[in-house]
Amino acid sequence: MNKISHPIEPEELMAYLDGELAANRASATAAHLGECVECQGLVTSLRSVSQNLKAWKAERTESTIPPAIATALAENELVSRSVIPARQRPRRAFLGQRWPVVAWVGGVAAILLLAAVSVPNLLRSRITNSVLSKPTADVLVVAPEAPSAMPMNGRQVDRIEQFAKLQAAPPVSSSAPQSDRTTVGNNLPANGPMIIRTAQLSLITKEFDKARANLEGILKRHRGYVGELKAGGSTGSGRTLTATLRVPADQLDATLTEVKTLGRVESESQSGQDVTSQYVDLQARLSNARNTEQQLTDLLRNRTGKLSDVLEVEQELDRVRGEIEQMEAERKNMSNQVSYATLNATIAEDYKAQLQVVPPSTSTRLGNAAVEGYRTMADGIVSLALFLLSTGPSLLLWGVVLFLPARLVWKKVRRSFAS
Amino acid sequence: MLEFQGGSHPAFEQLFARYRGPLYGFFRRRLQGDQRAEDLTQETFVAVIRASARYEPRALVRTYLYSIAMNLLAAERRKQFRDSPPGELAPEPITNDAPDAALWIRQALERLDDSEREILMLREYEQLSYAEIAELMKLPVNTVRSRLFRSRMALKGHLEPEQRSAEATATRGVAESVKLTRAEGEAI
Repeated sequence: MNKISHPIEPEELMAYLDGELAANRASATAAHLGECVECQGLVTSLRSVSQNLKAWKAERTESTIPPAIATALAENELVSRSVIPARQRPRRAFLGQRWPVVAWVGGVAAILLLAAVSVPNLLRSRITNSVLSKPTADVLVVAPEAPSAMPMNGRQVDRIEQFAKLQAAPPVSSSAPQSDRTTVGNNLPANGPMIIRTAQLSLITKEFDKARANLEGILKRHRGYVGELKAGGSTGSGRTLTATLRVPADQLDATLTEVKTLGRVESESQSGQDVTSQYVDLQARLSNARNTEQQLTDLLRNRTGKLSDVLEVEQELDRVRGEIEQMEAERKNMSNQVSYATLNATIAEDYKAQLQVVPPSTSTRLGNAAVEGYRTMADGIVSLALFLLSTGPSLLLWGVVLFLPARLVWKKVRRSFAS
Repeated sequence: MLEFQGGSHPAFEQLFARYRGPLYGFFRRRLQGDQRAEDLTQETFVAVIRASARYEPRALVRTYLYSIAMNLLAAERRKQFRDSPPGELAPEPITNDAPDAALWIRQALERLDDSEREILMLREYEQLSYAEIAELMKLPVNTVRSRLFRSRMALKGHLEPEQRSAEATATRGVAESVKLTRAEGEAI
C-alpha cells in the first residue's frame, strides 16, 4: 500500500459518507476516493454495515392521535385558557409529574415545622397551668366553708366564679375586689404623679482634682449620696470620673446647675418615667393580699375542722404572706426611686500631652519589641488552637459527609477530561 | 413547535405525524414488547404537550424529542432493573418485520459496548447528526465520531466473521499509511 496515497483518515471517510465533513475536506476526500482502491473498499464496507442495519425495521406509519394524547392536548388547552395567573403556570409545569412527591415532602415538612413550634408552647402552657392550678385548688378547698362575703383577690374570685359556673354552685360575690379597688384609689399619692427622674451629664474640666472635691461638696449640700463612683486614668494622661449620684428628686435641678459649673458641658439629657399606674396597681395587690391574709388568719383561728383542712389553710397563708413581703419590698424600692433622682455624671480631664524630651533608649525599644513579638506569637497560637477546637469537629463532620460526593464528582470530571 | 406553543393544533398534528414512527422505532428497538414502546411514545408526546409552556428553541425539535425519549427510556430501564429479580436479564426486543434479519443484527449489536451501540443506533436508525448525538449523550463531537467509527468497524466484524481479519488488516493499513503520510509531511 502506498502511504503517500492516503491523506484522508478512515474516520474522515466515514464522516464524508455521513455528510458530516467540512466542505474543503469533503472535496479532498472525494478526489482521493476516485483514485484509492483501498479507501473505496473501506467505504463499501461502511455502506454495507449501514445497509445491513436497515434490515431491522421497527417504525410504524399510522398517524392517528391516540386518546391519551388527545386528553393531554385538551387539558393543556384548558390550563392555558383557565383563570390561573400566567406566572403560576410555569411553576405547575416545572413540577410536572413530580408534584405528588413535592406535595408529600412539603406536607411532611409543614407537619414537622408545626410540631416543632407547637410542642414547646404546649409544654410551656401545661407547666404554667399546673403551677397556677395549685393555689386555685387550695382556695377551692377552703371556699365552700368560708363566709360568702369573704374578700379575696381578683384572680381567686375569677377562678371560683368559673368553677361555680361549671359546678352549678351558687355564684360567689364579686363585690369584694371592687371595694378593694376603691380603697386602693384612696391610697393614691397626694402629691401628684410618681415619676422616676434620671439625668445624664458629661463634663470636661481642666482642674480634675478640684472638680472631684467640689462634687462631694455639692452632694453634701443637697443631701445626696454617691451610688457608684469610678475614677480611671494615670496622672500622665487624661483621667475620667464616672459617678452615679442619688439626690432628692426636688433637689435634682439645683444639683445639676451646680455640677455644670465644674467644667465645660459636653452633653446633657434628662428623662422621667411615670410609674403612677404601676404603683397604684402594686398598692391594690398589696391591699388585696393583706385582706386575704386577714381572712385566712380568722379562718385559721375559728376553724375546728379536719387537720388536713387546717394544714391547707396554713399553706395558703404562708404563700400569701410571702407575696405580701415581696410586694412590700417592691413598693419600697419604687418609692425610693421616685423620691431620689439618679444623676449619672461623667467628668473627663481636659488633658494636654507634654512634649517628651527624652525618647526611650534603643535597648528599651528592642526589649519592648521582643516582648510584643512574643505576645503576638503566643496570641496567634492560642487563637489557632481555639479556632481548631471550636470548628474542628464541624469541619471533620462535613469532611466525612462530603468526601464521597466530592470524590465521585472529581472522578467524573477527570473522566470527562480524559475522554 | 413554536406554532404549537402558540396554541396551533394542526402544528401538533404535523409534529405527531412526522415523529410518531421514528419515536416508536426508537423505543421498539431498545425495549421488549411493542405495547410498552407504544406507551412510551405516547408519554413522550404527552411530556411535550405538558412542557410546551416552557419550551425554548435552543436546539432542533428532533433533538428535543429524542432527549425526552432518552430520559423516558432511562427511567424505564431503571424500573425494569428494579422489578426484575437479581441475575435475570431482560429479554431481547423482537420485531415482526424480517425476524431473521432482526435477530442477526440484534445479536451483532448486543456484542457492542453500550455507549458505542447507542451512538451507532442513533446515527443509523434515528439519523441524528454527530452534533445532535453529542448533545444527547453529553459527549464531545470528536468522541462521538471516533466511537461511531469503532462501533461500525466492530459491527462489520460481527456481521461478516469470515472477512473480519481481512477488513481489519485493510483498515489498519489505511490508518498506518495516514500516520506515515502526516509524519513525512511534518518532516518536510
